[in-house]
Amino acid sequence: MAEQEKRTPDQVCTFWIGEALCGVDIRCVQEINRQVDATPVPLSPPHVLGVMNLRGRVVTVVDLAAKLGLGSTRFTDETRNVIVQSQGEPVGLLVDRIADVVDVDPHTVAPAPANLGGIRGSAFQGVLRTDDSLVGILDVDAVLGEEA
Amino acid sequence: MGSEMTILDDETLQMYVEESLDHLEDIESDLLAIEQAGAGADEELVNKVFRAAHSIKGGAGFLGLTAINQLAHKLENVLGLFRSKELVPNPDVINLLLQGFDRLRDLLQDVDAGRDADVSELVVALEGLTTANVPEERKPSVSERVQVVLDSHGPVFTVSRFELEQAVKGGKNLYVFEYDLIHDVQRRGRSPLTVLQELEDGGVILDAKVDLGVVGGLDSEALPRTIPFLVLYATIVGTDIASGVFDLPDERIHVLGEANFRDAPPEPLASEEEPATLVATPAATAAPGPEPRPATQEPPHPPKPGPASANQAAPVHSKDQGKPAETSIRVHVSLLENLMTLAGELVLSRNQLLQAVTSGAPGVDRIAQRIDLITSELQETIMLTRMQPVGKIFGKFPRVVRDLARKLGKEVELEVEGNEVELDKTIIEGLNDPLTHLVRNAVDHGLEPPSERLAAGKPAKGRVSLRAFHEAGHVNIEISDDGRGIDAEKIVAKAIEKGLLGAEQARAMSEKEKVGLIFLPGFSTAEEVTDVSGRGVGMDVVKTNLDKLGGVVDIDSRPGQGTTVRIKLPLTLAIIPSQIVAAGGQAFAIPQVNMDELLRIPASQVKERIEIVGDAEVVRLRDRLLPLVRLADVLRVSPKYRDPATGEEREDRRRSLADRRGRRLSLDDPGTDPDAAASQHEDRRGGPDRRSSSAVNIVVANAGAFQYGLVVDELLDAEEIVVKPLGRHLKGCGCYAGATIMGNGRVALILDVPGLARLAQLTSVEGSARAAEVKQRALRRAAGEEHLLLFRYAPTERFALPLDVVQRIERVKRDDIAVVGGRRVLQYKGGILPLLALDDVAQVGVPDEDAEPVVLVVRLPGRSAGLLATGPVDAYQGRIEVDRETLVQPGIGGSTGIEGETVLVVDVVDVARRSYPDWFQAYEAEETEAREGATLLLAEDSAFFRGQVAGFFREAGYTVLEAEDGQEAWEILCREGERIDAVVTDIEMPHMDGLALTRKIRADERFRDLPVVALTTLAEDEDIARGQEAGVTDYQVKLDREELLASLARILRTEEYA
Repeated sequence: MAEQEKRTPDQVCTFWIGEALCGVDIRCVQEINRQVDATPVPLSPPHVLGVMNLRGRVVTVVDLAAKLGLGSTRFTDETRNVIVQSQGEPVGLLVDRIADVVDVDPHTVAPAPANLGGIRGSAFQGVLRTDDSLVGILDVDAVLGEEA
Repeated sequence: MGSEMTILDDETLQMYVEESLDHLEDIESDLLAIEQAGAGADEELVNKVFRAAHSIKGGAGFLGLTAINQLAHKLENVLGLFRSKELVPNPDVINLLLQGFDRLRDLLQDVDAGRDADVSELVVALEGLTTANVPEERKPSVSERVQVVLDSHGPVFTVSRFELEQAVKGGKNLYVFEYDLIHDVQRRGRSPLTVLQELEDGGVILDAKVDLGVVGGLDSEALPRTIPFLVLYATIVGTDIASGVFDLPDERIHVLGEANFRDAPPEPLASEEEPATLVATPAATAAPGPEPRPATQEPPHPPKPGPASANQAAPVHSKDQGKPAETSIRVHVSLLENLMTLAGELVLSRNQLLQAVTSGAPGVDRIAQRIDLITSELQETIMLTRMQPVGKIFGKFPRVVRDLARKLGKEVELEVEGNEVELDKTIIEGLNDPLTHLVRNAVDHGLEPPSERLAAGKPAKGRVSLRAFHEAGHVNIEISDDGRGIDAEKIVAKAIEKGLLGAEQARAMSEKEKVGLIFLPGFSTAEEVTDVSGRGVGMDVVKTNLDKLGGVVDIDSRPGQGTTVRIKLPLTLAIIPSQIVAAGGQAFAIPQVNMDELLRIPASQVKERIEIVGDAEVVRLRDRLLPLVRLADVLRVSPKYRDPATGEEREDRRRSLADRRGRRLSLDDPGTDPDAAASQHEDRRGGPDRRSSSAVNIVVANAGAFQYGLVVDELLDAEEIVVKPLGRHLKGCGCYAGATIMGNGRVALILDVPGLARLAQLTSVEGSARAAEVKQRALRRAAGEEHLLLFRYAPTERFALPLDVVQRIERVKRDDIAVVGGRRVLQYKGGILPLLALDDVAQVGVPDEDAEPVVLVVRLPGRSAGLLATGPVDAYQGRIEVDRETLVQPGIGGSTGIEGETVLVVDVVDVARRSYPDWFQAYEAEETEAREGATLLLAEDSAFFRGQVAGFFREAGYTVLEAEDGQEAWEILCREGERIDAVVTDIEMPHMDGLALTRKIRADERFRDLPVVALTTLAEDEDIARGQEAGVTDYQVKLDREELLASLARILRTEEYA
């Protein structure tokens, strides 16, 4: 899995975090749902929103904006929980709004700049240029880190 | 791998391996029993072991596992000698057999690698044993080889004459049975192994093989019509009835006589010949059999160099570490059938439910009830499939103990009880290492050598017992020995030396807590294997492992009598009984294994039952004081409470432990805001007192060696919960053991009881209230703040006392105070507490007639006394400047300004001295004059005490250099060394404590003979001993001015003369 993710994805699922349009490799997305009501975990890192029950599995929900240093997510009707597989466990990523699923032409992927929409460049695998926008492809494992 | 295996499926091999391992399971204990009995060994037992070796041999021969076959064969020969009473079992023989079976197990566990392993060394040793023990005239027969020749097949087997002779003893007939694998075995739904097993019951199988010669090439298109399977068999069944008994046509039963035996060349090398015989048959030459590979070409080491070399360095039990966890499990068929039935019922109920829901028919609740019932039963049954007896691990200990005892020259008897107690498979697997460690420890460190035991009046033979039993829904495992026990003081000394606890903390600990120190992380490291005469080697690792299993470990030791380690385990890890509690409006689960009881203190009793000792809240539970930890505080959530009138949930504004500034120490109402202090009494009488309206809920939590009270907002239900792991982002929280999903679908976190204690900075070391106090003081120190208790006597004057000297605060009734012999005393804890009154010695106001007295129980040198005061009693924490001149008078050491008010600092020792001069008489005679021009170095981190003690010294005429901690004192000493005549140091200090400073001084050439006086708030024997060990010249109580001065005068005078 880990090696796979480092490869340029064929398709990315894109979403908004604040002003930044980001994407993750569709292969690590397990599902997207509206379940944003998590049980808070006292003493957890600030970017952890809590834990939720995903059909019998306990999934950690991470506020992606907070994790990327963009302040905490404000809940709206469009807030979504993107469940991704990271290092063999599902993790929920809270995003402001889901955008699209985009096909990736490897030739249009450029290395990430040092900063993209206020997010440090090391969080990205690369930047995808589409007709009307730039999508930062998030490196899920790099963003979520080891945190063992 | 070519040859035989191609026609035998993996399943057969797998079955063989499993069965063989099963056979080997009990062999160790059986062999040990045989060893014990010696010549009188139980024949049945010998037969059992013999049969095990025998069937392993048989199957291996059939499957072409030559190494296994050879080894089992030789083992069988030796065991055969036991059977025929030609060899008496003795420890050396048993040793060899044990080694042989060990090797056999290794080979079986990795059959593929074991196929070509070299076992020649063991084979030669075993054969040597056999040869050495058979009568002279039969000796050649052991190495003499005989070929078994059939007219139709030519030579089919090669065996030793000795074996043939052994086999036909007792008038047995010798046969070769010629089965056909296709018709006689497969088509009849049997397997070659079952055939062999059946034969086993009626006689002795000498060898078995598949005759590939007649099958034809493997790549031949045509399917072979028959695959002959030959078995060399000895049985008492007569030739006339054999056909009927063994269900084989006569023509395929070959009765053997001398004519069928031909001499074969003697075995050149044990490991080489036998594999060769399989292909040496003329028939086999046509088949593409395996290349004969002499074992000598094989690498001399076992096939897994990596793990093997690691094993050599590791202790005995490492054998099991390399072993992969079992991936399959044996389940009784009836259990599976039960599961099927339940699943069927569940499906049925689901259908009914669906129907009821769609049609809107009534009775849904009835169906729901049924589904509930079925689900619970299903769950229980599934759990049962995971249960395994602890005997699985216990079984290996006789061997472990025997081997270790042999090595150490000790005599040990192992008692095992409760083999049948069952635990979850995961727990059983996880228990292996910790138990092995504990048992080894018991034999190695617990039991004394025989001579020492005899000298102590004990039997030479030590006893180690291993016991498993059920108790209150948990399984307990006890490992006890009757050895020398654990020397608690040594453990403490080592823990102090390692910096794991301070001398003052240690003093407050019970024996049990001291012994429990060996579980502290970092207490023991591998390189100190025999450092502590008790135990402790790797015990922290044992504890960590057991913690992972949800177990609680506890140790009990009596010097000279032995040690018992008790492990309490949940039956299973997947589903655990737990108590649901609430804090901060959120539900949490506490595993019941970590819980001793629930305590609900009614509002009316809160005052009596919950006390404050030092800075820590404690609850009185029967005769003990338990430190309290507020769950909401530790988790930093706001506590909620349910309003009894409205049922509404509200934020509880009771002060937390962490919030200490200006906290009311009076026990009646810690919830009052500081600004409401003035109205406190009104509140208590008429106002809506929140504290009194809500009881306190406490979970008495068990973190192993110690208990604490976990204060929760609410106690909810007891529930069985399914444990789910938490993601990696939450591993660092340190207070959760997992999560579970509640009935409402929400996730609840499972609390990690020992983890919470760590977060609350209670460890087993500080498991006593006294220790918590010390801890708090250490915290205060870092901030450089003082900790005072503020109180009144007359309503107009305010007084302060260092909190350190206050043991306890008691609210008493005026009537409780009696006057005896002109002095006021208090009936207290079944004794009499002398009371001190400020107005007896100082010019201060007196309390109002109707004021309720408060007694501050203070420590004085050698005794306790009560200082009379009136409320409100407050704690104060902050930096203060004490004026030691303006308002000084008898009993009052100085004054300071706190919260805009002048506060008189009480010198309680002075008050006591003036009230009860006889307590101090012994000291009065001492000369307290300072030697002229003497300079003292004073190390004391508390500015308050430093000021006070330095004041004593300066008054007495000393020059005093002040240091805030040991480090600074050392620097001053290095700089000003020559003019310093003595060092006076506090014990507990940041950076470098007093004992470390003393050791440093003693270790230095320049200061070796410098007198060092250690100061403490209370002096006890253990402390003094520890101080002396470090090289302290004298030990003094901080506030005892006279004695301190006398001591210094004494020391410096001695110095002068010397």
